[in-house]
Amino acid sequence: MIIDFRNIKKVYRTGSVSFEALKGVFLNIENGEFVSIMGPSGSGKSTLMNIIGCLDTPTGGSYYLEGRDVSGLTFDQLSEVRNQKVGFVFQGFNLLPYATAYENVELPMLYNGKRSSERKDRVAELLNMVGLYEWRSHRPTELSGGQQQRVAIARALAMDPPILLADEPTGNLDSQSGSEILKLFTSLWEGGRTILMVTHDTNIAAYSQRTIHILDGKVDLH
Amino acid sequence: MKTNLLKLYLNEFRKRKKKTSLITFAIAWGTLSLLLMMAFGRGLSNQFRIGFQGLGEDLIMFSGGLTSKAYQGLPKGRRIRFYVSDIDLLRRLVPEIKRISPESYVNVEVRYKDRETNRLLRGLHASYSPMRTTFAQMGGRFINPDDVKFSRRVVFLGWHLSEELFKGENPIDKEIFINRMPFKVIGVMKKKLQNSNYQGLDYDHVYIPLSTMALVNSQKFIDRIHIQPGERKYAGYVENRVKEILGEKYRFDKDDEYALDTFNTIEAGNIAGNVFTGIELFLGIIGGLTLLIAAVGVTNLMYAVVKERTREIGVKMAMGAKRRHIVWQFLLEALLIFVKGTFWGALIAFNIVGLVRSIPMSYEMTGMQSYLLRPEFSTDILITFVVVMGILVFFSGIFPALRASKMNPVDALRYE
Repeated sequence: MIIDFRNIKKVYRTGSVSFEALKGVFLNIENGEFVSIMGPSGSGKSTLMNIIGCLDTPTGGSYYLEGRDVSGLTFDQLSEVRNQKVGFVFQGFNLLPYATAYENVELPMLYNGKRSSERKDRVAELLNMVGLYEWRSHRPTELSGGQQQRVAIARALAMDPPILLADEPTGNLDSQSGSEILKLFTSLWEGGRTILMVTHDTNIAAYSQRTIHILDGKVDLH
Repeated sequence: MKTNLLKLYLNEFRKRKKKTSLITFAIAWGTLSLLLMMAFGRGLSNQFRIGFQGLGEDLIMFSGGLTSKAYQGLPKGRRIRFYVSDIDLLRRLVPEIKRISPESYVNVEVRYKDRETNRLLRGLHASYSPMRTTFAQMGGRFINPDDVKFSRRVVFLGWHLSEELFKGENPIDKEIFINRMPFKVIGVMKKKLQNSNYQGLDYDHVYIPLSTMALVNSQKFIDRIHIQPGERKYAGYVENRVKEILGEKYRFDKDDEYALDTFNTIEAGNIAGNVFTGIELFLGIIGGLTLLIAAVGVTNLMYAVVKERTREIGVKMAMGAKRRHIVWQFLLEALLIFVKGTFWGALIAFNIVGLVRSIPMSYEMTGMQSYLLRPEFSTDILITFVVVMGILVFFSGIFPALRASKMNPVDALRYE
């Protein structure tokens, strides 16, 4: 089990008002699974993804990531986990606008202290894999949506994390670019990577092995 | 690793649109203010010190006064006077004295050819020259011990008087008349800055050996005794010993402050020096405050920059940036905003100082300009400046940087 949620709770408190986003979630994801997470707005799917990705910490329960309890870690410790264990792909790409494709992909390695030669080889490998090596000196504004997302995927894989988290990865793309991205995901999964994808589209969810439904802060394990 | 992140941050800074020109101007202005205040403050201090030494270096001057206390049966109100024999007496009894010279003065008529004027005549010994910072221009000399021994009729002229009498001519070896008596000119005074004086500024006076003065003046007593201690630290001790010895000889209480008039340039110099250090500090603080206002502007700008880059901060955190990475990035940005302004401010400051220093000094003035024309950038000023800048940069940047680092990545990523 790579992802193990035990009674995960998340409560948001603003002043005297508190809102339970997750109400005791149990979740098991095995290594190498391709899972979709579906649910309506306000169901807590974003919160779920944030906790899985260690962008946020639960207010109750335990989260075991690759067998390690990460629920009580400090911010910097979580940064390390984010750097090495999780790769993020966002709906809006979120590339650094003033950096080239090369520099964007290299970013996680910079925070990890990787040497220049190591980084050079790895970035070349990744950009080649997504077919954008010739575009390495271009800035995001010079790339199409689909190209940007591919750069983002290359970046997410920079530190070779076991888990890829994608939040509506094709939401800002046309159907052709979208299916290119999903094909990429499929090949990555076939390569042994664990992929979690949030989507509202059942056609996209069809690319994955199974779907988890979430509603009102509780997970319905298919 | 650090250097590569540095490169990333530098690149990002360079490529971003810069709405910082107004801030850069403010920083340049503040830097200019601080540097100029420090340089001119230091110049003021230096020039004052030099001007003060124009009177004399490490000098204690004694002149006779009136006793204010009865002593050894003698009434108060007695006039105390010195005589030439006191010079040898003091030299003998106080080995800590390095130089000693008597001085007497009287008003005389001075004439060269058809130019006549009235001036103060000073009679003294050779050691007067180094003590009273009175040196001869090239081609001439000051009074020497032989002049005194043989009571020669030689005269040394203040430079201002010399210019007036001789216009363009070389005064050396020429004959002038002092109270209708012929004297040979042996030297002219080198120009110096002098802000403290007694009986008028040195540049206008006429100097002859004390022994020769009998020709011009029937006064038997001497007006002043100048003493230079061997080492500054002996100044207080020497002053006391002189008071003791003269008090014993002339029968006055050595602690009677009115019997003997003393002017200790070392003490006076120290006090004045403290005043000028205070002025330097004050000016520096004013300059610093100007720069501080600019620094506040930087902080303001940085808060806006951080807010604008919220989403990007979230992305970086998602990629594995630790809090310190974020702090470093924004501290560096603060520094980079300062750099341009500081560079221009400093460049202009150095040029202004260089320009002002090239203005020739007029030694006739004891007015403000002689103090303002020599600003200086000494090493300690530059070091102080760098330290102050470092502190300002750090504090301008650290608060916005900390705010950036404390962001919640989820909220940051959601920021539009």
